[in-house]
Amino acid sequence: MVFEIIDVIISGLINGSVYALMAVGLTLVYGVTKAFNFAYGSFYNMGGYFAWMLLIPLGMIGGYFSVFFIAIPVFFVVGYLLEKILVSPLRKYDDWEMKVMMLTLGLSLFMDFGYQAVFGPRIKSLPGMIEGTLELGQVVLFRQDIVIFILSVGGMLCFGWLLNNTRTGMAVQAVAQNPAGAKIVGIPKDFIFAATFAISTIMVGFGGILLCQKNFVDPMGSTNIMIKAWVITAFGGMGSISGSLYAAFILGMLEAFVGWHFGMIYVQIATLTLLLVTLTIRPRGLMGRE
Amino acid sequence: MVLILSGFYCVMGIMPLFFGNTAYIMNILIMILIWAVVASCWDVIMGFAGIFSFGQVAFYVIGAYASAILSVSLGIPPVFTIIMAGVITGVIGVLVGLPCLKLAGPYVALVTFAVHMTLIPFLRGPLGRAIGSGGSQGILTIPPINLLGFAFSSEQLVPFFYLTLFLTIICTLILALIIKSYWGTAFLALKDSENFATSLGISAFKYKLMVFGITSFITGLFGALYAHYVGMLSTKMLSMDVFTILMIMMVIGGIGKYPGVVVGAVITVTINQLLAPLGMYRPLIMGAIVVVLVLFLRDGVIGLAQKFSPLQQKTG
Repeated sequence: MVFEIIDVIISGLINGSVYALMAVGLTLVYGVTKAFNFAYGSFYNMGGYFAWMLLIPLGMIGGYFSVFFIAIPVFFVVGYLLEKILVSPLRKYDDWEMKVMMLTLGLSLFMDFGYQAVFGPRIKSLPGMIEGTLELGQVVLFRQDIVIFILSVGGMLCFGWLLNNTRTGMAVQAVAQNPAGAKIVGIPKDFIFAATFAISTIMVGFGGILLCQKNFVDPMGSTNIMIKAWVITAFGGMGSISGSLYAAFILGMLEAFVGWHFGMIYVQIATLTLLLVTLTIRPRGLMGRE
Repeated sequence: MVLILSGFYCVMGIMPLFFGNTAYIMNILIMILIWAVVASCWDVIMGFAGIFSFGQVAFYVIGAYASAILSVSLGIPPVFTIIMAGVITGVIGVLVGLPCLKLAGPYVALVTFAVHMTLIPFLRGPLGRAIGSGGSQGILTIPPINLLGFAFSSEQLVPFFYLTLFLTIICTLILALIIKSYWGTAFLALKDSENFATSLGISAFKYKLMVFGITSFITGLFGALYAHYVGMLSTKMLSMDVFTILMIMMVIGGIGKYPGVVVGAVITVTINQLLAPLGMYRPLIMGAIVVVLVLFLRDGVIGLAQKFSPLQQKTG
């Protein structure tokens, strides 16, 4: 019983860490560009398919090292171009927030069925990054889980460092705090918007590569991931990075415990209930500000 | 607005004279009428009330399932269950609206969309089966509407068409009244300047909640009508492509340009039927259509019409 609970906690921690990576990307994009990206789950699947394509049919040498190495620039370019071509032309209209939601929802449908058309409707499994288990007394840990946890936490720390210590990172923060002021001091706003979108694409794609090793690549699974990422972001407070971090771990744990105790079918219901209750009490989420 | 709507219903009204024997076309016409109302409700919520609700399909499905469950499990005649389904959906709409409408724009979209996403595991799972949703198989034997001994079944499409048309016209009148009444003006004021409008004593929350309730009621009613028309239901109705079809109607018609969505419904249902032979490529194309339309068709067909005929500025 005790060890079962420890297992559940570990699985919650691992899921939580990857969710945190994805939610931080999403909250960043919302905080900076105010664009509500409904295609986020499809970017997650893009990560999964990207890794699958490189590893299985192409048989890339170097395994996951080369996958990550290629994925980062590719995802950046994809995200950058998508923002430039699809989102930024809408920005000049009054009701652009609604239009962006609709456009990204259409984009997500297009991508999901695109994957199905290209890769077929069956789920794909990715090979693990590392095999074997680690035994600490009676607790058995998968080495793969440990690597996933380290990589996603490391990714987040790395991202936090970039945000606080590089000129581009500081420019991103400036645009988030005061878009007009940022423009006055000469920060290229349009570039920052596109770059933020691209960074969030990298983060969610990275999350896809990591989590798809455990959960398979499912062409229709993207809405689930999207909802999860959004619920975490809203629960933590949109635009608040620390809020998303707490929220990701809380929801990762909740999901693990509800899934273990009541069955996976109740996970979504529990998540939604928690979100609704939180938003009723705190309309801006856990750490959200006015 | 009156011109477009009355023209539309007159044309729809005489359609069965020409196509009454072709089941394929009658089916399309009935679906156009049903979707036109559902899309109009969404337009009133999004375009006029300015609520980013993404739960329209969810309410439609709630209405359909409510009526189907009531008539199959409890044996209540469909005439009453349709109205009960509308009331149930309206109540659920208000319940969802209560916490939702106090939130900022994107949060509303998220919560309403989350309601949509939770419906799928709910209806498929043991909870749904307990209330009679039939699990992942769905409900297969929904009785047709029976009014004074006359069955409006899917075998006789023409009477069902006129029944739908009758209900459509009533609901359209209700929606048009909302838009033209004090409420519509209140929404315009709220949209132009929320602070000023509230300072004049317009309660955003009250009006938004009322509109949310009424449109949910109408949506549920038509969901129920659809359930008794097709005779079977499954959670496939909640799939993303149904949602996208509804969204394309809005984009083609123009958000907040009220009779536009009706035109959008006609075009979209027809395109969707024409694309049906393409199988799984259909949603792919639908998704691409949304992206292209949002980028290039700013105000929908109404916007286009206004652009090319400067004399008729006041069509909307």
